[in-house]
Amino acid sequence: MPTDDVEPEAQPATSTEDAPNVFRTDDGAQDGLAKCARCGATEISLNVATGNLRCGFCRFEWATDNAIEAFNLNGDISKLSGILVGSGSSDIVPSTEEILTFKCSACGAEVVIDTNNSTQARCHWCRNTLSMNQQVPNGAVPDMILPFTVEKSTAVEKIASFVGKRKFFAHPKFRAEFNAENVMGVYLPYMVVDINAHARMTGEGEHQTRSYTVKVGDKQEQRYDADLFNVVREFDIQVNDLTVESSSDRLDQNTSQNSNNIINTIMPFDVENSVRYDSNYLAGFTSERRDSNLDQLSPIAHTQAEDITRHRVNDSLAFYDRGVRWTAEEVDVRGQRWVSAYLPVWLYSYQQRNSSGKTFLHYVAVNARTGETMGSVPLHQSKLLLVAGVVQLVGTVIGLVLVAVGI
Amino acid sequence: MLTHFAWMTASGQLIAASSSDEGSRGFGLVFLLSGFIFYAAIYLRYRNVDKRHKHESETESAMFNMQETNDFVVSKTGLTNSKIAGANNNVVRGARRKFF
Repeated sequence: MPTDDVEPEAQPATSTEDAPNVFRTDDGAQDGLAKCARCGATEISLNVATGNLRCGFCRFEWATDNAIEAFNLNGDISKLSGILVGSGSSDIVPSTEEILTFKCSACGAEVVIDTNNSTQARCHWCRNTLSMNQQVPNGAVPDMILPFTVEKSTAVEKIASFVGKRKFFAHPKFRAEFNAENVMGVYLPYMVVDINAHARMTGEGEHQTRSYTVKVGDKQEQRYDADLFNVVREFDIQVNDLTVESSSDRLDQNTSQNSNNIINTIMPFDVENSVRYDSNYLAGFTSERRDSNLDQLSPIAHTQAEDITRHRVNDSLAFYDRGVRWTAEEVDVRGQRWVSAYLPVWLYSYQQRNSSGKTFLHYVAVNARTGETMGSVPLHQSKLLLVAGVVQLVGTVIGLVLVAVGI
Repeated sequence: MLTHFAWMTASGQLIAASSSDEGSRGFGLVFLLSGFIFYAAIYLRYRNVDKRHKHESETESAMFNMQETNDFVVSKTGLTNSKIAGANNNVVRGARRKFF
């Protein structure tokens, strides 16, 4: 149901152990006209070169507050207890509409915003830009946003270079249709999690004391001597800025069904440089709405935190050069802090349609902060199979000769 | 196609393992599977299905108040494997990439 002058519902802080404590991240945020402080224009967009907002008329530039400082997200993780979530990370209310109607604060006309695609719209009467910055419980407005700093021209170069190195076996239709200029800037939704945990790990480790060869029949075989130890490690661990996709489309990373792993690969982002959410950062870019809640994302985040713990404790296991076999791993999450964020990605996408009519979406993605690039290029299967067959033929001849002479 | 590819990769790993076990004789066997290995290498280079964010090492973390216990149990001799059986201190369970 469309609503006028959207008022975010107040979310009371709760103190029960399992329910999250919500801290507001949209205090002072206003919907409607966001004006340039110098000339009053609403034609505001991101200057990618500086990461600041810039007025389209007077060229005045300014930056929004750093979100980490504004929300005290770099506070001591060891003091975290229970679940703390930013108001933009709260559970999505299923009944909340994706279409919202605003009353233009300049002329009073009603303007519709489809929050599935954007949180901005232009008044069709007075041409002012209207922004939605207050959070409605539909996942459209996150707690913070990380502005683009890699320019489109740089992303185009990186994508062209990535694909250029993979042209020989690329599908001919893809080669003909590829145009790196078709890249799009997209803000993708993520949850950024800090975790305070206590871990106790019990198992066995082996340290090699000797390595030697023995003769078995007419062959030489390697043998090892080792000391076995019972190993216990107990410690506190703090995980900072663990980042998890919060759109169900991106969460699915089955590589036989999609190439979402490509977008996952370009992480991590420097989320510590995120700013408080302001719709003006979205001007000229597209965005994807969060549609996953904490209860869906917690298992993934906790399993990943356990992975981090397991790998981190390896720092204290250098003596066990033959490895460690953990028999019990207890990671007790004592505190966690969740904030939702829009993170910037340059995306080149290509829909491959095979002869049976099935389609597969390939991506070449560029992290718009670090420039890290990864992609999936559709293969010309028959050409690859032909060349692999030739390689196999030549290899078989060489292999048979080598085996015959005992090499 | 992916099953076919998985089989080839597994074969490649098998051959690689056998080549290390049997010394120089495995070198000839690797050539006998060169076409499959070539296919797998190109597939990975173009499609990058094996790539993912390495959250376990790329996420910032810190340990505090470490308490360590290392109790000697027994000395073993004549072991054939270079690694402890069932080593799991490097496993990753939170990767959502489904490769095979």
